[in-house]
Amino acid sequence: MKIGIVGAGQAACTLIAELIRGQFDGEIIVFNGESHSPYQRPPLSKSWLADPTETESLRLLPEPIERHHSIQWIQSQVKAIEPDHGVIVTNNVSYTVDHIVLATGTRAKKLSIDGLSSEKTHVIRTLDDVMSLTSALDGVANIAILGAGFLAFELASSLKHPTRTIRVLAKGIRALPQISVKAADRLLDATPASIRVGVTVERYDEDNAALITNHGPIPADLVIMAIGAEPNIELAHACGLAANEGIPTDAYMQTPHPRVSAIGEVSLHEQPHLNQRIRIESISEANDTASTLAKRLLGQPEPFHATPWFWSDQGDLKLQIAGLSARTDEETVLINSETECVVIRHQGDRVTAIEAVNAAKEFMAARRLFEQGTISLENLLNAGSVFSLLQSSRS
Amino acid sequence: MPQLTCIDPNDQAIDVTFEPGETVLQATYRAGVDGILAECGGGCSCATCHVILNADWDGTLDAPSVQEADMLSFAIDPTPHSRLACQVQLNDKHDGLTLTVAKRQY
Repeated sequence: MKIGIVGAGQAACTLIAELIRGQFDGEIIVFNGESHSPYQRPPLSKSWLADPTETESLRLLPEPIERHHSIQWIQSQVKAIEPDHGVIVTNNVSYTVDHIVLATGTRAKKLSIDGLSSEKTHVIRTLDDVMSLTSALDGVANIAILGAGFLAFELASSLKHPTRTIRVLAKGIRALPQISVKAADRLLDATPASIRVGVTVERYDEDNAALITNHGPIPADLVIMAIGAEPNIELAHACGLAANEGIPTDAYMQTPHPRVSAIGEVSLHEQPHLNQRIRIESISEANDTASTLAKRLLGQPEPFHATPWFWSDQGDLKLQIAGLSARTDEETVLINSETECVVIRHQGDRVTAIEAVNAAKEFMAARRLFEQGTISLENLLNAGSVFSLLQSSRS
Repeated sequence: MPQLTCIDPNDQAIDVTFEPGETVLQATYRAGVDGILAECGGGCSCATCHVILNADWDGTLDAPSVQEADMLSFAIDPTPHSRLACQVQLNDKHDGLTLTVAKRQY
């Protein structure tokens, strides 16, 4: 069996590693559209940006796996796929495979701002993006970050410098709207950035190096756009396999076409225990969707069953989230001490997520509890901590 | 180059060379040692790079942070010598270090 994997990010590499470790006896062709060997993305906005060293430290695949004889690496963009014939087309070559895996990921959204040159516009998605940012930082005194999600505040922490002023500009009414107000407050208390909410950018004033906004001019020698990502669905779309919000699959990562699967951030997959189709941008999803497909390709299919989890580092603070909440979910503070903060997100009595700031034990306990099934708010409040609830569920 | 020895979950001993300044995770992961998953890529966020250091080496390493110790308490069968490989930084003194990869990461 010959498998063609389009993309070489986290999901693609987890799939490759699990196939090799699972004694897959076919061939794997990987299409890597970037000019670097597979690398880890999470450190790009965190530790690596704060202290960029050699790129070897970002290595994503162990050497023996990357160099495994059953893998052929093609450093090229894929231009088209033809599922009916199992064909993958690059610039000038067609490859025929038995199964096509779309692991095309997402790309950073960019806002076009009148007057702002491309040299002053940055996004953070790829290693090249970060290298371009770090090489542009000399003499920069004012950095404006558009968007106020995790990425914006990770960048602010990593770019902190005595000679720089960092401003985070939010379009909406609050920063970090993905998480509870309480957990957000803990992170925002520690951010080196100044935050403005309700900002609409009108244009860029090159002469004064400032963004002209509804709040007046805001100094910006360079502008980083951290306003989210969009799925790379064009290849799937061209053969009728994509929806606007991702590539729909079942709980085994299979698209409606029998020769095509989709994994990672581009997959809009069935999530049996949430009883819905979701597309989530996180490492856990990349790994878990890839593992699900690896099992199927190795002949031991099991439906996707993982609970999503996330983390974000901002300086000394670590936010960890188990579960998946909607922005409108209620929030109830469970622990709020000097050192840690734990907030429950819930819809009535059903707990949807646990947000833990510097509270690793509570986070790990929450992951275990979600794996066991649903969590009741009342039981959790009675137990007093996620850890106690886990212990009582075990006894 | 200095090296360390890993006992993988299949009880195979594997010698791994390292650069001073690297973490145990970077060195063992690059070498493709079985059983180290490191789902979060070395961010002390997932506890899937659990290793057990040979007791002789206790004094040569900084104690785990609170965050690491808390994550470790959820690893499978942690021992007093358990560490997360992503949090152990190596220097020249660690030439010859021996460790065992946890049998299961979850």
